This record gives sequence, structure tokens and C-alpha cells, in this order.
Amino acid sequence: MNAQIIGQMAVSGALMGLVYALIAYGFQLTFATSKSINFGQGELVMISAFFSLTLTNLGFPYWAMVPGGLLFGALMGLVVERAGVRLALEQKSEGWILLSIIIGLFFFSAAENIWGRDDRPFPTPISADPIHILGVDVTRLELSVAVGVFAIMGLIELFKRRTLLGKAFEAVSADRDAAELMGISSTRTVMLSYGLSGSVAALAGILVSPITTVGPTMASALILKAFSVAVVAGLDSGFGVVLVGMFLGALESLASFYLGSGWREAPGLILLILALALRPNGVFGKATIRKV
Amino acid sequence: MKRILLLRGAELVVFAFLATIPLLVVNPYALGLLTLLAIYGILLIGLDVTVGYLGQVNLAHVAFLGLGAYAAGLVVTKLGLGMVPALLAATLVGLVLGGLLALPALRLEGPQFALATLSFAALSTTALNELEALTGGAQGLSLSRPPLFGHALTPPLFYWLCMVLLAVVWMLMRNLLASQWGRAFEALRDSPIATDAMGVGTYKHKVAAFALGSSLGGLAGGLYAFNFQYLQPQSFTYDLMIILLLGVVLGGRKSLWGAFVGATVIVLLPNLLSNRLLFQIFSGLGFAGALAAGVQGLVKKTTRPFQALAPVVAMGLLVVGGLFVENTEDWRKAIFALMLFSVVVGLPEGIMGFLALFLAKLFRVPHAPLPEPADLDTMLPIRPADGSALLVLADLKRYFGGVKAVDGLSMTVRAGTIHGLIGPNGSGKSTVVNVISGLYTPTAGTMQLRGATLPIGSLYSVAQAGVARTFQNLQLFGELTALENVLVALKGVYRNPLPMVLLGLARREERTAQAQALALLELIGLREQALVKAKDLTYGAQRFLEIARALARKPDLLILDEPAAGLAHPDVLQQIEFIQRIHQRGITIILIEHHMDVVSELCDTVTVLDGGRIIAEGTPDEVKRHPKVVEAYLGQPPQPELPGGAEPLPA
Repeated sequence: MNAQIIGQMAVSGALMGLVYALIAYGFQLTFATSKSINFGQGELVMISAFFSLTLTNLGFPYWAMVPGGLLFGALMGLVVERAGVRLALEQKSEGWILLSIIIGLFFFSAAENIWGRDDRPFPTPISADPIHILGVDVTRLELSVAVGVFAIMGLIELFKRRTLLGKAFEAVSADRDAAELMGISSTRTVMLSYGLSGSVAALAGILVSPITTVGPTMASALILKAFSVAVVAGLDSGFGVVLVGMFLGALESLASFYLGSGWREAPGLILLILALALRPNGVFGKATIRKV
Repeated sequence: MKRILLLRGAELVVFAFLATIPLLVVNPYALGLLTLLAIYGILLIGLDVTVGYLGQVNLAHVAFLGLGAYAAGLVVTKLGLGMVPALLAATLVGLVLGGLLALPALRLEGPQFALATLSFAALSTTALNELEALTGGAQGLSLSRPPLFGHALTPPLFYWLCMVLLAVVWMLMRNLLASQWGRAFEALRDSPIATDAMGVGTYKHKVAAFALGSSLGGLAGGLYAFNFQYLQPQSFTYDLMIILLLGVVLGGRKSLWGAFVGATVIVLLPNLLSNRLLFQIFSGLGFAGALAAGVQGLVKKTTRPFQALAPVVAMGLLVVGGLFVENTEDWRKAIFALMLFSVVVGLPEGIMGFLALFLAKLFRVPHAPLPEPADLDTMLPIRPADGSALLVLADLKRYFGGVKAVDGLSMTVRAGTIHGLIGPNGSGKSTVVNVISGLYTPTAGTMQLRGATLPIGSLYSVAQAGVARTFQNLQLFGELTALENVLVALKGVYRNPLPMVLLGLARREERTAQAQALALLELIGLREQALVKAKDLTYGAQRFLEIARALARKPDLLILDEPAAGLAHPDVLQQIEFIQRIHQRGITIILIEHHMDVVSELCDTVTVLDGGRIIAEGTPDEVKRHPKVVEAYLGQPPQPELPGGAEPLPA
């Protein structure tokens, strides 16, 4: 009985954890090309979810709404890159941390005023009826999260390996200066990475909204955990974020069960601080050699 | 003297004015705002230590405000103690928790540091919410303001208490930040590696700065608790943190006045947002200012187009939005965002940074005169060059994975000599230097300095042991002046303990230090440029300054890592002369160099490396003729028996 509850908790937690992994993957995309991440990524998740909700309410079918939402996310990602990141990167400063927080704050306020402060349900054609697999109940909705996460991560990884543009992306990640010398524009590649990262954030919003509802604050808790996942896994391991995301999801699901729902956030945060202290490059990250 | 009078005079006038206000005005609302101004002033001075001096985005400061507030509140409500213990507890909570957070966050830079502090803030909100038995959770905690030394604190009295504390904090911090401590904080921001290599200790200073800033956050929290007499966890969230950052950045980083201006802005913001006319006036002014600055920047080509235009667009949005939006209060976050964006992009030095330039032109305040340079012979006595073994390396190895960068190196450096270390690119020279100076831990082998084992794997400990180094890729503290760069590294002058420094009783040793630093600058011909920021010096001067800074360690062994790299020919000659001057003082030097003429001119002994191993050792002339050296540099000599003979050498 008890084991079954634990199993159930762990599985649904781990499926939720895949959303953290997906957002964390968005951090990795931009970190690879520019060594920067968008501190307002949670607001991108939220505002794209709202936009997708509007598309749905306007009568767009699910299959048309999803690409629309992804496109919107990509556009917003480009806004963040242009307004918040590029100048700081040119100046080789860390101003992007503050600027991306600021742009996120602006998105937050805009969403509050355009769509309201209340949480709203997100209609979806995917059913929420549980299916019984190996002794635990899983809803189709939860499974759709897993499918969506693996699909987009697979597509992006294929894109990076199989297309010329993707190889340019990898080249800039490996060595920005050398790539520039080979005629690859690093500015455009950074733009591309922010666009992709925005799409990934939008998909995370679309996948998670039917489960959690849509609201201005929907991503504030989500984003902290995505940060934890990205840092604990390391900012350069796509495989790592999936593992750590599922682990963290399961862990916090159990923590909220045993300690009370208020402590839900605690394991992720403690894990993050510990990981930063013990392995600053992440469990799956590569250690860097300091050069002078 | 005139400068000091002006600066102190301005402080005195402002504080005297603020102190007399309750005597003149009886409006309780205005008094409330002024009390808040004092509290936020303390809070922002604390935040400025990490954001301004350490240059890190700190998102945990609001948590220390909250924790300090709850600590004070609990001391009063649960323990029944008075005002003084409560405020002490609040400060102590900030100090201890700040230090604890700094320990793991210590190794982190930039984004990781921001994330660690963000997590800490979220964690502390969770804790305040969930520890209901203690904090009352979301219900909040009510408390009453205890008397101070038997006097009930009426609003004017409480205001004076806050002002007095602000003035005390102001004075202590002014003394601290102008001292060796403040310089070390800034050095840490510009180059942590060089800070360690100059024996300053990033560890100690980062923790100290963070704990100190957090303790001020805690103190402000204590006052906050007694000001509002009601606490709720949701008062101390991310939103407030953004406003605090706005205050520091808008006011101007690295400036007590900046924190004060920032606090004023924060206190006035709610009024600004609730009064439509006021809002329109201010957004209009902001727009005009951004436009003027933008146009000027574009015409003079001092700013990039984006830097000039983005603030104009943001402030324009603010003006246009102000006309259409019904209730500005609803859009407060967007308004903060637009303001903060404009400031970060368009006015990175903040209001005080801008004003400081302006005022400096207006008043033409000369810098306080510098002392006469100290006598070089007393501060850096000439050491006997007895030729004894100073540094002995035995079978030193350093592997990176499969790459054997240094592979079994044994070498003796004799006291008073200049020992050259040369070799083709990738031969392991820099790795040897990095192992000796403690940046890398050796894979195997031993190192001895004057017969004692040299510490391994710690730049700081090696520097303390008497080895100083320069860097091939310059690692100067760019935002500090040439003089300050040398002062940071100066050894053996700063002895006064922290309390003396805080109380401003360490002025005499500061003068001594300046005199010594000037003597070193004179040695390398930079005395006239003592007050120029390092980043504004010419490339050659920066290379010279690196040497002066390393000399400030008064080292037994000085390691010069390609001191002539990238220098124009006249500068190379100059550099040779400086190195000879240093050599005449009996300081032992290891010289890594590519310029063969520099090596021949200066070195007593030369060790040649290739592939991580020694291939030759001897006087410059001996090694130049050594066949292995010729081969390493020029490739295989042409085989005489080949028909046709004269094939060109491979490049």
C-alpha cells in the first residue's frame, strides 16, 4: 500500500520534472552559444502560455495553436536577446543578468494587465482520464508532457547534428572566436539560440498549463526548479537535465507528501545550493581549467 | 584639504538638515517617509557592498531584510527583550547567515552566484511561511516598539534613532571602503586570480563583504520591524528585491551618496505612481533626459546606437503609456522595469556617477596631495646575491588528462640571478609558472623555497610564502588607479585591526602605504600616472604596472610571465632596463620570454623546455648554440648527404 503510494507519487512527480528539464534545456541552448541565460525565462513560459490560450479561445485547433505558440515564444526570445543580452555580451559584462530580469518583469506586468491576475483553465483535447500502467495511474495529459518534451529535444538535437545551421550552432558553442574566423556570425547564432530557447519555453508553457492552469505567477515556482535542474545537471548536458529533472520532480512530490505542501520547493533549492557548493559545474558538467 | 572639507561639509549639512526636520515639520506622513528613507539608506548601503564593490548580482538581500526583521520581532515578542538586543540580534542574523551563504557561494561567479542567492531568498520565504509556530506564518507577526533606555519611542524619537544609525553606518562604511578592505573588494571584482596571486585572499574578503552587507540588511530589517510593527513573509519577496536593485543602480553603485539617492527614489516611488500629474512630469523629464543624452551620445559617437536609443524608447513607452493607462498603480512593475532598463543601459554609473563627473567639473576639486615617495632602500632593502639555491624543483609533473604539459622537470633557481625559462609554444613554460605560483596542483614532484616546502595548489599561500608573479594576459584591477593597484598588493604595511579601520584610525598607515607604492611606481616610471585608472593606461604602461604590483609583495622570488609580449621596441628596451633595476636590488627573477634578445641581455642562466622536458640548460650563449635547442626552434637541420643540398627550412 505504502510502496504503491510512493511509486505513484514518484512517477507523477518525475513526469512533472520533465517540464523543469525542458525549461532547463532552454537555458542550455543559450548558454552554449553565449554563456548567458535568460533570468526571465519563467515569464516567457507564462506569456507564451497566455498567448496560446488566446489562440485557443479564438478558435484555433490544437495542432495550429501549438506552432503559433512556439513562434510567439521564439519572437519573445529574440526580444530578450536584442534588448537585454546583446549589448552586455558586446561589452563582455554580466549586465545581461540584471537586464533579463528586468525584461521578465516587464512581461510579467504586461501579462497581468492584458490577461488579468487570475489563474485560468487551459482547454486541451487530451483527456485527463488515468490509464493504469504497471501498477500506477498516469493520465494521458501527463504522458503528453513526456512525449512533447522528448519530441522537441530530439528535434533540436537532430537539427544541431544534421543541418548546416545546426553545425554552425555547435561550432559557436565550441569556440566562438574560431567560428567567427570561419565566417560564422556569432551574433546570428546567439539570436538563433535565443529563438529556440523561447520556443522551448513556450512548449513548456503549453504542456504544463492544462495541468496547472494559466496565470501570471504560474512560472515563478517552475523557474526556480528549472534553475536548480540546470545547475545541478550542469549547463552543458542535455542528458543530465532529463535525469536530474525527473529525480527532482519525484523528490519534491515526496517531500510535499511527507513534510507538507509548503515545503514543496525546499528540496530543489537545497539541492541547488549544495550542488553549487560541491560541484559548481554540475553533476554531469565538465570541469574547466583556469587559464591565465 | 579643500576636498575633504567639501565632502565632509556636504555630509554634515545634509545630516544636520535631516536631523532638524522633526523640529520644523509635524506632518506624521512626511516623518514616516523620512524614517523609511533612513532604513532604506542602511539597507542599500549594505546591498551596494555586494552589487557595487563585489560587482555581483545579489538577489538575497531582501531575505536578510526579512530575516533581520523577524529576528528583531521574535526577540521582542518571544523573549521579551528590549530594543538594543533586538537590533543586535537582527544584525547578527544577517552577519551569520550572510557568512554561511557566502561560504558555498564563494566559488561562484556571475550567473551561478545570482542563482544561489535567488534560491536562498526563496528558501527563506518558504521557511518564514512554514515555521508557523514561531513566525505566525502567513498570518503575520504583530509587535510593539519597545522603549529605548526607558524612553518610549515616539515617531520623532524613532526617526532620530534611525538617522543616528544611518549616520554611524555611513561613517564606518566610508572608512572601511576607503581602506585596504574596500580596495580588496574591488580588486576581487576585476580579477579574482590576481587578487589571490597578490596574497590578498579572495576567500576572506568575499565572505567578509557578503557578511558585512548582509548584516546591514539585517539591521535595516530590525528597524523595519519596529517601524511597521507588523511583519508578513510576503513583504520580503522578489518584487521588493527588484526595487532595491533599482535603488542601488539608479542611485549609483560604489557610492554612499548613491545609496542615499536610491533610497530617496524608492521611498518616493509609491507617491510618484499614485499621483498622475507627478508621474507625467517625471516620465516627461526622464524622456527628455534620455533623448538629450542619446542625441549627444550619437553626435559625439561616444555611445553605441543601441545604448543611445533604447533608453529613449523605454522612456517614450513610459510617457505614452502614462497617457493611455487608467491606473498607473496596476502597471507598477512595468514602470519599474522601464525605468530600471533605461538606467542600466543609458546611465550605468547611476545618478551619483553622473553628478560626480558634473560636480567635479564645477568645483574642480584637486585630489588630496600624495606623499613623497618612500626611500626604496629602506622599504625594499638590497638583498645579498649569494648564489645559494632559492627555488628547487624536483621531478615536477603536471598532466592534463593524457597531455603531459610538464613531464619530470628538475631545476634550481639560485638567489640573486635572473633565470630564463624559454621554449617553443606549447613546451610547458606557462604550466610550470602556474604550478609554482599555485594556480595548478602538480601531478607529482616537489618544490622547495629556501629549503622549505612550497605550498601547492593555492595562489594565496604561495604568494604569502614570498613568491610574486605577473601575468602573460594582463590581470590588472582595471577600475582601480595605478596607485591603488600597487596598494592592494602592498605587503607589511597594513597592520591595524578591523575595528581601528572602521573608526577611521588607520590614516597614518595609509600614508605610509601610499609613499611606498609611489616609490615603486617611480621605479617603473609611472609616478606621474599614479591616479590614472589601470584600464586607461597604455598597453606598455599596463605591463610595467603589473611588475610594480608584483614588487609590492616585496618578494623573494619574482616570476615574470612574458613581460615583453606585445610591446613595441622602445617599450621592450624600457622593460629591460626596469628588470635590471629590480635585479640590482637582489631580487631573484624567473623570466619567461619569447624575445631572444631580452633573454640574452638579462639572464644569467637559461633553461630550455620542449614537450614538458628540459632539453638544455646553461648561459644564454651556451643554449643558443645547443643543437637540441636549434632543432626545437628551427626543426631538423638539412641532411648534408641529400642531393641538391639547399632546400629551404620548414617555416
